[in-house]
Amino acid sequence: MSRRTPDEEPRLTGRGIRQSMSDLHSWAGLLCGWILYAMFLTGTVSYFKDELSQWMRPELPYQAQVPDQAAVAQRVADELGTLVPGSPQWSLRLPDARNNSVYAFWRSPARSADGRGFGEGQFDPATGRKVASRDTLGGDFFFRFHFQFHYMSALWGRWIAGVAAMFMLVAIVSGVITHKKIFTDFFTFRWGKGQRSWLDAHNAFSVFGLPFHLMITYTGLVTLMAMYVPWGERAAIKTPAERQQLSAELSVFIQPGRPSGQPAPLASVEDMVRQAQARWGRDNVGRVTAVHPGDAAARVAVSRGEAGRLSMSPQIMEFEGTTGRLLAVRESVGPAAEVRGVLYGLHLGRFSDAVTRWLYFLVSFGGTAMVGTGLVMWTVKRRQKLPDPSRPYLGFRLVERLNIAAIAGLSIAMAAFLWANRLLPLELPRRADWEIHVFFIVWASALAHAILRPAKGAWVEQLWTAAALLALVPLLNAVTTQRPLWRSLAQGDWIFAGTDLLCLALAALHAVLALRTARYRPSPRAAGRARGGPVAGGKLIEEGA
Amino acid sequence: MSHLVALVLCVAGFGGLALATDRQQHAVFGRALPEGVTYGLRIAGAAALLLALGSLVVRQGWGLGLVMFSGHTSLASGLVHATLIGYSRLHSSTR
Repeated sequence: MSRRTPDEEPRLTGRGIRQSMSDLHSWAGLLCGWILYAMFLTGTVSYFKDELSQWMRPELPYQAQVPDQAAVAQRVADELGTLVPGSPQWSLRLPDARNNSVYAFWRSPARSADGRGFGEGQFDPATGRKVASRDTLGGDFFFRFHFQFHYMSALWGRWIAGVAAMFMLVAIVSGVITHKKIFTDFFTFRWGKGQRSWLDAHNAFSVFGLPFHLMITYTGLVTLMAMYVPWGERAAIKTPAERQQLSAELSVFIQPGRPSGQPAPLASVEDMVRQAQARWGRDNVGRVTAVHPGDAAARVAVSRGEAGRLSMSPQIMEFEGTTGRLLAVRESVGPAAEVRGVLYGLHLGRFSDAVTRWLYFLVSFGGTAMVGTGLVMWTVKRRQKLPDPSRPYLGFRLVERLNIAAIAGLSIAMAAFLWANRLLPLELPRRADWEIHVFFIVWASALAHAILRPAKGAWVEQLWTAAALLALVPLLNAVTTQRPLWRSLAQGDWIFAGTDLLCLALAALHAVLALRTARYRPSPRAAGRARGGPVAGGKLIEEGA
Repeated sequence: MSHLVALVLCVAGFGGLALATDRQQHAVFGRALPEGVTYGLRIAGAAALLLALGSLVVRQGWGLGLVMFSGHTSLASGLVHATLIGYSRLHSSTR
């Protein structure tokens, strides 16, 4: 048995519960760890999903100032009247400080050829026309993947995400109980001590962002709570009227009613949005939703934007569609709905100003590192106990290889997604889908590479590949668009400049990790122990198998 | 501006609290500081954190203020931690 330092000396009292919690923490963290890592990293990036979407649609010009939302709403409403006449409902997300296009969703008058009863598209605020931009899902891909994955039904994906989040919650609570010196060791980092260093790093990433990690996991479950625990709602909400009332508490919902059958043009949408601007601020209108536009029974709802308010609960002004008369203003919901609205809002962080958004991003990135260091530590810890480290058992090899693909491989795949956005031919059919296919093909290749190569080599090669792909993104952008980094900086276009610079920063991070991994040699003491049995834990990476 | 003030106060706060711990006193000063100084650092550190919270709540209200405070404390503790690691690495390599 190895000698213990005073720090490691177990206390007799309470060891039982701590040991159980430690085991629970290890296994709860491991079993869903790879999914959680992917959820965390894609979720982290999603704090900049609107900015990423702009970067991925370079044809849309840089928006130096938010255009007048009222005029834009009228333009796109007119366009939809031509594009989908007779649509029973459409909804617009207006441009704001983070969006330079209008996202529109509409229900089709009849089922379209592909069997869908709805359509969606991005519209140019300046012309009101559909944007002539490359077909891409933009940052929404990472956002959707983050909670429902891909190549499976959204329902299945959300259940898997929910189970993983529940494991995360268990891992966080059990981790706090396991970590016996949370305050004494708050700033402790023991450099070059193998497993100890890994534990200190894992603790630092966990403890510094603990309020965030707890909040984000719990609120993540709350966002889909109606799906996970539907029984209360089912017991309390029975009639269609009650269901509609519930919808109105949770989302921008207006009583659809029945169309009268009498055609009547929609009143000025611009005037309706102007009233909302007067109430909530010039750039603080969120959506415009019209029900039965073109019918005498039309209704229009204009909702408040999300900036500066914690709650996601809807705040709307409802208008009579044909006259533009204000029918009602709803700016509050019941206490239960408001609690849900605040928890939902906390998870998405859409209320954030630029600095708070960066704080969300950085602390969430720390959460990703927490999961990543936890995954690597599982192998570092067990490597010490391997009878022959050069021939680990199957479970160890499985975890080791999955770690490489899940951590380094995901970085490569995400960078490849950006490359695909710039390199796939614009006329390629189903281009947006192919960007996503490229992401998964590259990720699967990374897994194959991790299985075929020795572990250390696989880590180093994949980290270098990720570093190179990320470092070259600004160059790729400069070559394939009219908006190179130097021009973005000169224009003050922080959407493009920020994306390019962030890619460079992430490339540097991957390069440092690759260098440290490549340079790592087990210490003579560790090597000696390896020959005799257990080996001390390594740096980032386990030795080549 | 309120963000900058809050971050500076949080860094100062965590800096004080870190230097009030036995381990960091040995790492930075090579010895334990007198008890009075340790208490002083602890109180000053806690006060700086409370001041950061107060400055954010006054300007942003309780809801946004608390969210921003949580972000600033996480970032500041990370910055202080990284500085301490950097300092001890530099110190050990020049010794």
